[in-house]
Amino acid sequence: MKRNPYIPIDVKVDKIRFETDDKLIKTFDLVFLDKKDEEEFMYFPGQFAELSILGKGESPIGIASSPTEPGFLRFTVMKVGVVTTALHNFDEGAIMGVRGPLGNWYPIEEMKGKNIVIVGGGFAFTTLRSLLIYMLDKKNRKDYGDITCIYGARSPGLLCYRDELAEWEKRKDMSLYQCIDWKFGPKGPLEEAAVEGWEPINLKEPVKTKLKPGSKKFTAFVPQLVSAVKPGAKDSYAIVCGPPIMIKFTIPVLTELGFPPERIINSLENRMKCGIGKCGRCNIGPKYVCKDGPVFSLKELEKLPKEY
Amino acid sequence: MKDSSKSIKYIEKEKLGAFIAELQKEYVVIAPKKVKEFVLFEIIRENEKPVLDFRNSRQSPKEFFFPQTENIVEYEGIIDKRVPLTRDTEMQKRIIFGIRPCDIRSILILDKLFINEDYVDSYYKRLRDNTLLFAYGCNEPRTTCFCSSFGIGPFEEKGTDGFLTDLGDGYLVEGFSEEAKKAIANLPDAAKETIEKKEKCKKLSNERAASSVPIDTIPEKLRTMFEHPLWEDITERCLGCGVCTYLCPTCHCFDIQDEMIDEKGRRVKNWDSCMFPIFTLHGSGHQPRELRYQRMRQRIMHKFNYYDDNFGIIACSGCGRCVTECPVNIDVREILNKIKKS
Repeated sequence: MKRNPYIPIDVKVDKIRFETDDKLIKTFDLVFLDKKDEEEFMYFPGQFAELSILGKGESPIGIASSPTEPGFLRFTVMKVGVVTTALHNFDEGAIMGVRGPLGNWYPIEEMKGKNIVIVGGGFAFTTLRSLLIYMLDKKNRKDYGDITCIYGARSPGLLCYRDELAEWEKRKDMSLYQCIDWKFGPKGPLEEAAVEGWEPINLKEPVKTKLKPGSKKFTAFVPQLVSAVKPGAKDSYAIVCGPPIMIKFTIPVLTELGFPPERIINSLENRMKCGIGKCGRCNIGPKYVCKDGPVFSLKELEKLPKEY
Repeated sequence: MKDSSKSIKYIEKEKLGAFIAELQKEYVVIAPKKVKEFVLFEIIRENEKPVLDFRNSRQSPKEFFFPQTENIVEYEGIIDKRVPLTRDTEMQKRIIFGIRPCDIRSILILDKLFINEDYVDSYYKRLRDNTLLFAYGCNEPRTTCFCSSFGIGPFEEKGTDGFLTDLGDGYLVEGFSEEAKKAIANLPDAAKETIEKKEKCKKLSNERAASSVPIDTIPEKLRTMFEHPLWEDITERCLGCGVCTYLCPTCHCFDIQDEMIDEKGRRVKNWDSCMFPIFTLHGSGHQPRELRYQRMRQRIMHKFNYYDDNFGIIACSGCGRCVTECPVNIDVREILNKIKKS
């Protein structure tokens, strides 16, 4: 018999750690209480789950772990409302629930044989981490071409997964470019390193930036760094996930670089409750972000009303 | 000619109470009752008689499948140790008696959402599977009725287990499903004349209910109308009270909330409304439907375009409740006519 989709699956909070220096974001590793539940929880990078705290409510969060790292589910959660605050107050060992996996996933099959450009901002990097770990897995790496990752946050301390970023930086089979926001003076952004070691790009004309070989850390907004890095669009997919403002300015850059709308992939969010397309609130036109998304290509989004 | 696929019975009005009592031996009987100034569907208690001289109930019996508040998980104990308690899923069979054909259509519309190949809402399905529907033909459609716009009429039989027709002194009672036939087996067979009388009632009523709103082109038309001055125009006097959505027999949006009393807690599905801003408000403060006209647009688009796109049926049955109960007289039929003309 199929599981009742409203009933959370029992899990234990196995590990908790602060992810960012502002202490507003924590990463939780959850383990299933019942091994059978773990086997049934088949997921792919890009899917999400409802984190459930009985007595408080539920919160839809992207799955940050990858199916290639079994044994736990990882969620990186910002403290925002009732549920996420209760979660932040938990100690390791707490019992809670998850409902999922929910939604669709990044087109990992369709992208085989292609170059991948990952563009992420802030703590929306979660499902992008899942995708990266998945593609970098020994079994899967050969299925994909060049992997480029461009990831930014407001400051170095707000980048997620910094241990892993340091490892990825050293890898030969991918390129990682990180950036932090400009410092602002009275007349706007200052064309200088916001933090020592974070090289400023060409502020006025990012596309003219001369990237020195080996430099990987920049002062730039994410869309500008995409302009500066100029990832090739031929046989490439761009996966974009971040705050709305970042997406808004990144898409024209990718289009300019020659990425067609069907190869620009976005992950959206909306207020959700049921996560299974019934409660009626997360729709964009006839599509539900929870069930038909959260992953949409730009081509799909162009057919939908601009109501998100 | 005798139609063997159904059984046709007759009951005199004064014997209705005894018939209900007979049904109650096996079923929970839900039927219209007078509650203050309203007619509402409620469980009929012992020796109670349903009220059948009504045109339509204030609320549809939607709540018997999709309750306004419904427990989905129960739990207890301290916050970081709670797991769902298992619940008993046995339930007694129910029979809804006297439901209007438009409200039956509404249930068929809701079925598409709650029971489909993506996910099954087991709470809805359980209530649905255990309930017989005895429809009640409308001899006198209201002026606000427009069911015929949706290809159904005041005597539509689709989706019903049985059918009731008021013939003055008594009711013609038809059973279509096997279970309904069994439930009415003890009633006397209807005479040929009574059956003919029903056909006359039906014909007359169908003529009276002829539609004023041809709906056919609306879903297609709406596809190109997301950006259109009409939305602001029709929303001008809307108060955003949401009564249209609460009384609508096809509105299915809900919230999920937790509540605790002492150490016992429950998670519930609660009816919600797209007319309220908090419905779509993000945790970050971002609001995709900030303005009232955007929410009105969502309500109309969802019913007349999105639902049709997703499930091949318009999410309206023409019951007219949103028309009669809107405090500022917004009439969905006028909106539909405006859409057609724009």
